[in-house]
Amino acid sequence: MSEKRYAIVLETRRCLDCKACTVACKAENLVPLGPENHRNWVTEERLRGRYPRLGQEFTPGQCMHCGNAPCKRVCPTRATGVSPEGIITVDEKKCIGCKYCMTACPYDARYYSEELGAVDKCTFCAHRLAQGRLPACVETCPTKVRTFGDLGDPQSAVSRLLAKAPHRVQKPEMGTRPFLFYLV
Amino acid sequence: MSAITAVIKRPVEWAWFGLLAAAMLAGAVAVGFVMAKGHGQVFNLTREIPWGILISTYVFFVVSSTGLCLVSSLGDVWGFREFEVIGRRGHLLAILTLVTGFGVMAMELNHPFRMALYAIISPNLSSPIWWMGTLYGVYLILLCGEFTALMIGSRRLSFVFGLLGFFAAISAHSNLGAVFGLLEARHYWYGSFLPIYFILSALVSGGALTALIVYFNHRARGIPLSADYQRFMLTVGRLQALFLGILMFFIIWKIIPGVYGQPPEKYEATMALVSGPLAFNFWFFEVLVGMVIPFLLLVNRRTLTPFGVTVAGLLCTVGIFFMRYDLVIAGQIVPMRESAGEGPVRLLQYFPSLAEMAIVAAAVAFCLFLYTLAEKFLPMEGGHRH
Repeated sequence: MSEKRYAIVLETRRCLDCKACTVACKAENLVPLGPENHRNWVTEERLRGRYPRLGQEFTPGQCMHCGNAPCKRVCPTRATGVSPEGIITVDEKKCIGCKYCMTACPYDARYYSEELGAVDKCTFCAHRLAQGRLPACVETCPTKVRTFGDLGDPQSAVSRLLAKAPHRVQKPEMGTRPFLFYLV
Repeated sequence: MSAITAVIKRPVEWAWFGLLAAAMLAGAVAVGFVMAKGHGQVFNLTREIPWGILISTYVFFVVSSTGLCLVSSLGDVWGFREFEVIGRRGHLLAILTLVTGFGVMAMELNHPFRMALYAIISPNLSSPIWWMGTLYGVYLILLCGEFTALMIGSRRLSFVFGLLGFFAAISAHSNLGAVFGLLEARHYWYGSFLPIYFILSALVSGGALTALIVYFNHRARGIPLSADYQRFMLTVGRLQALFLGILMFFIIWKIIPGVYGQPPEKYEATMALVSGPLAFNFWFFEVLVGMVIPFLLLVNRRTLTPFGVTVAGLLCTVGIFFMRYDLVIAGQIVPMRESAGEGPVRLLQYFPSLAEMAIVAAAVAFCLFLYTLAEKFLPMEGGHRH
């Protein structure tokens, strides 16, 4: 049994809102064109301060690969599953297109792909991980916002980052136990 | 006399069937477009509002079915004699509305056939949708049993099927409320309110529809209401006033926690109903047409007549259709991800496409078409003490 638990740690102060992660993801995973179709995103946070002293942060996000995933819980046909490494998956042939998982996800991390005929979402680029490569969004980021790794390994970069710096998750009140951690 | 009425009835019947056929044809064209172009192109649904008018119409039909079953069971199961006259018609329409509801949902699903397969070979017992489908399946079987028992005139069987059907109806229907109520992410829906509210609102639907079928049956045949039916209409009218009076407080207590203290997301969704994009639907259709006017008609002695009860039933039914729509849309109207910039929370937009509306119209027509045929070919009178 694998003890791996994949996670991403994000340092949002480094984000330029260049959206290279979204472009890389779309190209890598053949995500259909159109603004509705995306596996990851960058949210523009509200402006801080008053002119001329202004500040703004950008928060990249994607499926949080929750430890307590509502999408998995509600799927009537078990099309949504979880890999031994904690990746939330969609079995396309089982997806009936009820979109219950889309209404259940507090992060709006899923979309319905007409091309696949199923709900689609981030897989941490599982096909790349199998080849020993990083997810496309992690690899392409010019300022290295994202760090990907295995939380089961205390020596991994993600484990060390989380040990060193305070961090938060999105919508902790949902009880979803997300595996995307944002350094504070 | 009967020859004259037969001659007068025929053009009316032609017009009726013509109207139903036109609506069903429009729906068939819409379904054709969906099959040719895909749901994404034809429906106005988005990533953030994936459930639209077809889901709310599905809810409307299955609520109607539950309500018809509950109100019809008052006679056969709970021994209220006034309601025995509605047994056959009530249960038949309960079957037809349920089947139509399933049909509307199949149009919304991208893969209804996959559902039939994988719901059986790969069920997820923690999914409210799975339980809803299964319980409605059991409910449909029991409804058919009850209808058969009523048609063959077996009081014992109709009691047994009716009692089992009663509990199946409430289980399935409150589970439908749980489909929305168990979504922690949707603050407007989340909680135990919806499963309970759905049971009560089903009673309102059932009361309204039973009154409508009794009145329009007699009207279409050109025969006056017998004393039994007169008594039924007045009893169901009084009962409906009671249901509506309670429903008003359910709505009030849905709204107050939504605005009191401005709880995040729930507040914005509630305000979408109170003064936002759904306000006209809410105040005009839900409150005025669906509850206040019917309630006033039913508590006023001068309007508590079979015709008054029918008008109230018609208004309630229209109001309830909008209640379902508003409920489904309000739950999704607040985006899951915070928007940029200052100011109030951005609300999402949805308005059904022409194809979605055509499918809704076709569903209503389909249900009425089957019901009219049943009235023509099945002995709907009888099965009760006269």
